[in-house]
Amino acid sequence: MINKPQKEKYISLAHGNGGRYMRELIERLFAHYLANPLLNTQNDSVLLTLDQREIAFTTDGFTVNPLEFPGGTIGSLAIHGTVNDLAVAGATPKYLSLNAFIEEGMSFEQLERIVKSMAEAASEAGVSIVTGDTKVVPRGEGAGVFFATSGIGILDKDHSLSMEKIKAGDQILVSGTLGDHGTAVMLAREQFGLKGDLKSDAASVFPLTQAILKIEGLRFMRDPTRGGLASVCHEISRATQKEVHLFQENIPIHEQVDSVCEILGYDPLYLACEGRVVAIVSAEQSEEVLKLWQSIASGANACIIGEIREGGIREAQANVVLETELGGERYLEELEDDPLPRIC
Amino acid sequence: MNTKISAKAWLLKVNELMASARTQEKLAGKKIKIMNVCGGHERSISMAGIRNALHPQIELIPGPGCPVCICPEEDIYLAIQLALHEDIILLAYGDMLRVPVNVGKKSIRSLQQAKASGADVRPIASPLEARQIALDKPQKQIVFFAAGFETTTAPTAGLIAEGIPDNLLLLLSGRLTWPAVAMLLEGGAPGFDALVAPGHVATIMGANEWQFVINQHHIPTAVAGFNTESLLAAFYSVIRQKIEDRLFLDNCYPQLVKDNGNSTAKKQLQDTMDIIDANWRGIGIIPKSGFELKAKYLQHNARLIFPDYEKKVRRHIGEMPAGCDCASVVLGKKYPNQCKLYGKACTPQEPIGPCMVSDEGACRIWWAHGTRDG
Repeated sequence: MINKPQKEKYISLAHGNGGRYMRELIERLFAHYLANPLLNTQNDSVLLTLDQREIAFTTDGFTVNPLEFPGGTIGSLAIHGTVNDLAVAGATPKYLSLNAFIEEGMSFEQLERIVKSMAEAASEAGVSIVTGDTKVVPRGEGAGVFFATSGIGILDKDHSLSMEKIKAGDQILVSGTLGDHGTAVMLAREQFGLKGDLKSDAASVFPLTQAILKIEGLRFMRDPTRGGLASVCHEISRATQKEVHLFQENIPIHEQVDSVCEILGYDPLYLACEGRVVAIVSAEQSEEVLKLWQSIASGANACIIGEIREGGIREAQANVVLETELGGERYLEELEDDPLPRIC
Repeated sequence: MNTKISAKAWLLKVNELMASARTQEKLAGKKIKIMNVCGGHERSISMAGIRNALHPQIELIPGPGCPVCICPEEDIYLAIQLALHEDIILLAYGDMLRVPVNVGKKSIRSLQQAKASGADVRPIASPLEARQIALDKPQKQIVFFAAGFETTTAPTAGLIAEGIPDNLLLLLSGRLTWPAVAMLLEGGAPGFDALVAPGHVATIMGANEWQFVINQHHIPTAVAGFNTESLLAAFYSVIRQKIEDRLFLDNCYPQLVKDNGNSTAKKQLQDTMDIIDANWRGIGIIPKSGFELKAKYLQHNARLIFPDYEKKVRRHIGEMPAGCDCASVVLGKKYPNQCKLYGKACTPQEPIGPCMVSDEGACRIWWAHGTRDG
């Protein structure tokens, strides 16, 4: 038998988890049929020139269960997600559109809380929601409420960022602890008999991206959402054909995230964040970026967590290596299915 | 055993012990083979990169520690048939959904395919969810396919003992871990020199359950949790036991494991289930290794309530798929990458054997942590 990828017949939840299945879905359908010179499905935002002004444009959809969780709601998430996609592209987020798909039977009271938290998030992030649309779907056809937001930001022409700029020797920085959002949402579901007071990291990352945008050695930024740090590293490795080498010892993980992962058998490096930035910076200026981040509240736990290395043993494949605290090494594979709690 | 020491310090201690003149003299160039019997252990070992950080004369062998891997194929087949042909909701641990059974390519081969074709199959993470679903749908029969070792069977016993909803039925496929190790040891050539016993099982059943390995088989044994500190402490303990010829059952997870385990959970198991001779996929019948519902719960036993769907003409009933070495991998006789299907015909996207399906299967764990070469 030969190793040929077989096409699935149905969409599964794994096609939405930010890992391999989702990438293959996008490549097979959306990128295939909707191709045009501007569409690059690897990027968070597209950079457009309109009447000589350069802007960034992006869109994002939001589903989360439960709708409210410690540190945020689906409403604040809908703002942060789009703001953050613009911010990591090096843009200043300005205007957002909003689509709401509300399920019949949703309570006004809860929806009001969600919209309020959305308003607060928008005002904190300095963006305005300038157009929108509302649909109500029959009971059973939605999970309370889904949102979709699109956003426009203004680009600073002098500071273009891209994965193509990444060189061997560049350092990898992260702005704070990893996996807090994924874990907080999991705990809020209370389905594994686990409880905790961990808060989601959901926040606008614009202060973080703005603080370092003027650094010449800044090559690329990305916010590690679904699929976590490991998935961002895979995108970088695949695009650059270089090895992404991480030092486990330096990766900041909240104690509660660590315990929950130990109990359920999850890997925090694959869990979602909603308010963190991964930055690739030249070795010479990495300490400067670290200091800039650490001087602002949301970057207090920033760390240099790894470096870009030439090639690697597994050519033609994404190559993400974790050097463990014990001095061993393992490959971080592309996320396959959604992780499941262990049963042993 | 003190587990306050950091994992790094334990690693250093283990490697120093291995390099010492006394150890080297005793081993005379041979390796010391340590078997674990827990998917959680194997995951931690692989995640921390312990194999390539340890002294080269230590060999870590993944043993029968994956409940999904050893779950009888005919039980999964039955679960699929119930989901397809009975007016029920079938609940199963997520891992079980993707295990293929031995039917033709055009037939429905897994619970996941049954779900995609319209059967009401739902993955759950704990028996509490099963209870909730049963209470939410009182007019519907709910069948919970409860596969697993002591760690997941105990909560199922709790569910029954504390009052099981009338409409909740169980397709119980629970197994005990120690009889599988006993079978390997009684076979004469176990293939390992020391054992790391499963800490999570021991939290329920007690560390003492493993005393027989020392007393009857003279194999160094230590109970370990899933964290690297506890695992490395256990490696240190069993190596020292071996070198000094001073065997004792060491508890390297004292924070959670007591000598006699959790008396409430054990009582609930005793009150609700009998211990029976049971089939392990790819291995065969192991005496006194399975849980079955007591007769008084007859009305909750899906095996007795529903017709037998097994077709005696079905080919390869219960077998591992052709060419698949899962049976040898489960018994620690082969490493995952020694199977000729590993990473070629059998991958996590298109698994053939159960060890590539489950997050606790050795093949899946090795693949997920980057082992690609055969």
